[in-house]
Amino acid sequence: MEKVGIVGYYQVKLASDANYGRYEMIFEAVRGAIDHAGLKKKDITTVISATNDYYDGRTISNCFTVEVGGGYMADESKVEMDGAHAMLYGLMRILSGNHKLAVIWAGSMPSCFPYHSARLYETDPTWERPSALVTDISAGGFQMRAYMEKYGVSAEDIAKVVVKNKKNAAKNSLALPEAQMADITLSDVLNSEIFADPVTELMYAQPCDGVAALLLAPEHHALKITDKPVWITGVGWNQDPYYLGDRDLSRNKSMELAGKMAYDAASIKDPANEIDVAELSEAFAHEELIFAEALGLAEAGKASTLNSGIDGDIAINPSGGALGGNPPCATGLIRIIEAVKQLQGEANGYQVKNVKKAIASGQIGMCAQNNILYVLEGGGN
Amino acid sequence: MGRQVCVASAGFCEHASKRSDVNMPELVSEAIADCLAKVPSIGIEDIDAFVNGNMPAFEGANMPELWMTDWMGARNKPLMRVTTGGTTGGSVAIAGYYSVTAGLPGIDTVLAVAFEQQSQGDTSVGLASVAYGEISCLNSLGIPLEQLSRLLSAGAAIGVASYQATNYMRRSNITEEDLARVVVHNRHNAAKNWYAHLKMPNLTIEDVLDTPYISFPLRYGMVCPASDGVCAMLFTTEEKAKDMADIPVYVNGVASVANETAILGYDGAGAGQLDPSEQLGARRSSELAYGQAGISFPRKEIDYAEVYSPFPNQELMWVERLGLFEENTATEMYKNGTTAINGELPINCSGGVNSTNAIGASAMERPAEAALQIMGKAGNQVPRTVHTSLGHGWGGALNFVTLMVMSDEPQRKWR
Amino acid sequence: MSEKIINITKGLVRAEFNFWVGLYMDKFYDGLEQKKIVANKCPKCGDVFVPPRKICGKCNETIALDQNWVNLTDTGTLTNYTITPYKINERGSRKVKKDQIIGMVQIDGSNTTIVYKLLKIEPAEIKTGMKVKIEWQEKTKGAPEDIKGFVKV
Repeated sequence: MEKVGIVGYYQVKLASDANYGRYEMIFEAVRGAIDHAGLKKKDITTVISATNDYYDGRTISNCFTVEVGGGYMADESKVEMDGAHAMLYGLMRILSGNHKLAVIWAGSMPSCFPYHSARLYETDPTWERPSALVTDISAGGFQMRAYMEKYGVSAEDIAKVVVKNKKNAAKNSLALPEAQMADITLSDVLNSEIFADPVTELMYAQPCDGVAALLLAPEHHALKITDKPVWITGVGWNQDPYYLGDRDLSRNKSMELAGKMAYDAASIKDPANEIDVAELSEAFAHEELIFAEALGLAEAGKASTLNSGIDGDIAINPSGGALGGNPPCATGLIRIIEAVKQLQGEANGYQVKNVKKAIASGQIGMCAQNNILYVLEGGGN
Repeated sequence: MGRQVCVASAGFCEHASKRSDVNMPELVSEAIADCLAKVPSIGIEDIDAFVNGNMPAFEGANMPELWMTDWMGARNKPLMRVTTGGTTGGSVAIAGYYSVTAGLPGIDTVLAVAFEQQSQGDTSVGLASVAYGEISCLNSLGIPLEQLSRLLSAGAAIGVASYQATNYMRRSNITEEDLARVVVHNRHNAAKNWYAHLKMPNLTIEDVLDTPYISFPLRYGMVCPASDGVCAMLFTTEEKAKDMADIPVYVNGVASVANETAILGYDGAGAGQLDPSEQLGARRSSELAYGQAGISFPRKEIDYAEVYSPFPNQELMWVERLGLFEENTATEMYKNGTTAINGELPINCSGGVNSTNAIGASAMERPAEAALQIMGKAGNQVPRTVHTSLGHGWGGALNFVTLMVMSDEPQRKWR
Repeated sequence: MSEKIINITKGLVRAEFNFWVGLYMDKFYDGLEQKKIVANKCPKCGDVFVPPRKICGKCNETIALDQNWVNLTDTGTLTNYTITPYKINERGSRKVKKDQIIGMVQIDGSNTTIVYKLLKIEPAEIKTGMKVKIEWQEKTKGAPEDIKGFVKV
């Protein structure tokens, strides 16, 4: 795989109710990313967005974002998944040699749509949807119970992830203010209200408003734009079957396969030792542990014993992860941006020391049905 | 740089206004089976990755690719979903091309699937919601809803297309009879295409002009049906395509460009204020796609074209804007038989969108048909050998255009 | 402009959907109407599906419509459960006073699970692996809700 560089990025500060026009927010992110790279609108050759018609409450929602997303008269398309999947399509477009600069942007505003209802529209309308018992909420409960019972993991172990991520989020100025909890304790998490037993409210990554944008360029062009590009050295993506009963919810096979594909491309043999930072899109706290195991950072059932703090053996979600704010569609792209910041040494307040290789993931679907993983490497060349 | 990409196969399911015998995943599986049946040397397990898309709001299913994973054969395989409204099929096909050309490790053969089962929802309401957001925005500025709905006549596609039609008619000085002629051309072709929806082998211009207006100048007999249907295309590398198909079809140029936002546009500055038959996006798309394919004289170099025209005026407009004919001459070409199946530049021998419109699939059926014409496997095959063909898609509000230029020989290297 | 204004006019555009269930599910729903569980079986791997499907995702094998049907009992094993106060419909979500107990149940003889409410049971009594039985609606109509839920055997 040829090298493709990430040459600029921007993330709008997350908010539970941004009270800010959707298009203004997209414009702020895309303009911000172009400014961050010191480029101009005319340099853009392709734009890939990630939004969802149901989240935007409107058919063909992307036909309203052409101009604000920088797509006027540029070759553009939309990936209706996570922003991390949009970056995959942008990466393909750069690798084709047809394009010199790709803008990837993604985001949504759950403050103006019923998020759980939009997720309910994902379910099989000929079978499960009428009774509305398979939802993103109940699926999270099933997944956590399956993981706990299979490996004997306790609720405290999972609450520890919440404490770590919410404390990390407190150091991240762009995280959701409500999720920045410098003084959170284990008992706060365990005693918060029941969300979908055994998941408590604080174990769930609350959807919030946010948009993020990122720029990709081929190797030779990236080096002209910035002296510290971050290289995409591996990518893998994969989809699990739909019905929850067809899957072993205690693990995540699609993430395992996505990880294998990305590691193979990046020639990573021993992920636990080679990777310095992991930014994983966890819709629930337990997903961080399931993903860490799927990605070979820990043995099956043992992820809760990892020292995954900012100064730990392997830093997982030093930015606070999705528990620090989960804007649908943008979450995965923000994870990538956070990994880029770590590699460039620009994660002010939560910088991990000496980062050479990082991974970042995005997901969609119930219990993370479709996952995508990137391996990113820093260094001028 | 990217690899050479070929289309190895394309497949369809039977289209109809109501495919009530199947649910959405089952419908999709039919087209995939048809697509793979044409390449007997491989099976579903040889597909490395999938691209999928439809217009989710029309069927009331958000991200339906999650649900239909198993029916597509995509269990624990890489899958990406691309949707761009009416152009979804074209965008999915283009994403299929990029998935192969990128040369990501292990991704050689990619199945792209686009579908729509419109009988499950209300497409007009779905389409009205395209404009709806803007209407409420202007509404709050003091323009009443009644006035806005008059401005947009119907709000849905017809409302948009009718004033695009009047604009085009004024520019090109054509009559309603000229529009009806295009419809007759399409429906006669559709009668010879196995999966087409509206098959009318005996339709006459008079028959079309005898139907009532929906919105001037578009009559009931001129507009596309709403169909249930699926299209699948198989993209792979040059080497593998040579093993799979007798005539691998090289994808030499792709583009998808929009030049404005919506009907009213942000702050009311969209196509409603411009000439909607001008089509800067289409011109830019053809510039890009022809440039990649090394085509300098589209009229001479392209042997066959499938354009996306739910309404007859659009067919006339597209063939001009895409550089296949000089401006304001398209009508003449339909009169003198240039665009007929045995003409110099046959257009829409499949019957086109005008005869079969499963919206999400339609824009993929265009490149799929164009590819099959090169392979000699189309439902209504052109008798002459087709070397280079064009598949076009239209969508967005008025101005989003996807293009795929294909040929029986690889890209010219001197571009 | 705040997008909130759009919320006020919510409901102006409302599309109706009617989903074709397909011939496989049709047969399943006919079974439910007679209070029977009708499943189908992959001819290759032998997995039994509730509800029946056209394609076995594991083998990529098409299961013919006219064969491989299996009749199952209305008993099963609870494989997983959750308790949530959230109720979601197509227009929004809300918290209700009485928690819903939702279980994943593997019908005896099948290789899949179905998701239904657990009835007449206290949270403390629930254990994964316990045997459960379908509680049918009195009047069935060939729809998912013909199964009211599952009760302890």
